[in-house]
Amino acid sequence: MSFEPKILGIACNWCTYTGADLAGTTRLKYPQNLRLIRVMCSSRINPSFIIRGFQLGADGVLVGGCHPGDCHYGTGNLYARRKLAITRKILEFAGMEPGRFRVEWISASEGNKFAEVVGEFTNQVRTLGPQTKFKITKDGQ
Amino acid sequence: MTAFKKIEDHLRKEAKNLLEGGKVTLVLAYARGFDEKHPVPCVVKAAADADHLVFNEYCTYNMARYLTRYPVGTKIAVAVKGADSRAVVQLIQEGKVRRDDLVILGIPATGMKNQKTGEVIDAKTTASTINPVLYDVLLGDEIHGVKAGSPYDVLAEFEGMDKDARWAFWKKEFERCIRCYACRKACPMCYCDPCFMDASRPRWADKSPTDDGTLMYHLTRFYHLAGRCIDCGECSRACPVDIPLHLFHKKVAKECEAMFGQAAGMNIEDKPAMANFKGEDSDQMLG
Repeated sequence: MSFEPKILGIACNWCTYTGADLAGTTRLKYPQNLRLIRVMCSSRINPSFIIRGFQLGADGVLVGGCHPGDCHYGTGNLYARRKLAITRKILEFAGMEPGRFRVEWISASEGNKFAEVVGEFTNQVRTLGPQTKFKITKDGQ
Repeated sequence: MTAFKKIEDHLRKEAKNLLEGGKVTLVLAYARGFDEKHPVPCVVKAAADADHLVFNEYCTYNMARYLTRYPVGTKIAVAVKGADSRAVVQLIQEGKVRRDDLVILGIPATGMKNQKTGEVIDAKTTASTINPVLYDVLLGDEIHGVKAGSPYDVLAEFEGMDKDARWAFWKKEFERCIRCYACRKACPMCYCDPCFMDASRPRWADKSPTDDGTLMYHLTRFYHLAGRCIDCGECSRACPVDIPLHLFHKKVAKECEAMFGQAAGMNIEDKPAMANFKGEDSDQMLG
């Protein structure tokens, strides 16, 4: 059987999650590898969520938020951008493949973009193969 | 060595004056341990005890670490070397201590030595800041003409590594971790109460030293110190199993400086990098 990656998606309620909703209601097709978690704002994302995601078996993590300047709370995604940028550098320096982590700004009207990004990212992670570096392998975890 | 002796005399005199004059209630500095090669951090509360203070090349501790242990409003005199003074500045930026409460006794120091190995601490480990960036009283003379070197040069070897080799390197280092939290205790910026590792709701990571819990602890700590690490190197020196934590902290500091244009603890007017954003931030940093 070919490898099917598990993708953890963390999406902001106001833009990306609504964009995903739009992709659904307009019946766009995108891979079912994505497990989407909704948060109220991309700045709510603690970088430990991403590390924990990888530890619990995610092969890739996709973070979605509003376009800079479009945040529902004004400036949340501007803080998030700094946090996620440094998270990316930390993952890279620890030895994680940079292709397994991606941040995209997707607005509520961009259902097409959502489907495209998920498709593209899933293919990218599929070519990278299973993520084994951070994954917890011992029993009972 | 006479430079150290001079600093020591000045430190004792200054501590005595400050305590006698009632300007401060305590002085944070160093005292003799079981021999002079092993000084210990020391809190002096009476002028008569000021003669116990010492300063020599083995006084590597970052005394800024103890500032947050006292309630805001306590008048404190603190002896700080170059990097330690950046920690004080960073703590002031973060609102953990007030500038008015502090008398900063700056010590320009070079040629400090590691207590465990006796090696001279240079920019390869952590001695990129020689002169204090902020002080009220300067003990000794400012040092000029000593080329400290870039704190980030040592990273080239690791940045050039293949990512799998780098992962193998860190995995091997972290495997030794016994989770004593000495790095956290030694760090002037680790003042959270409770630390995320001590929290049980949510339980972020295993409390026992398992590989995954250790990975979570260290990676999260590197992230928590992003834009705040002042490169004193106490984490690595405190580590009983010699994990080179300062390398990862240096890397994060380097990226922060490159992306956000400010080094931690250099200017009292700055806002902490991770609690701030600028108009010129671009999506390139995510790329």
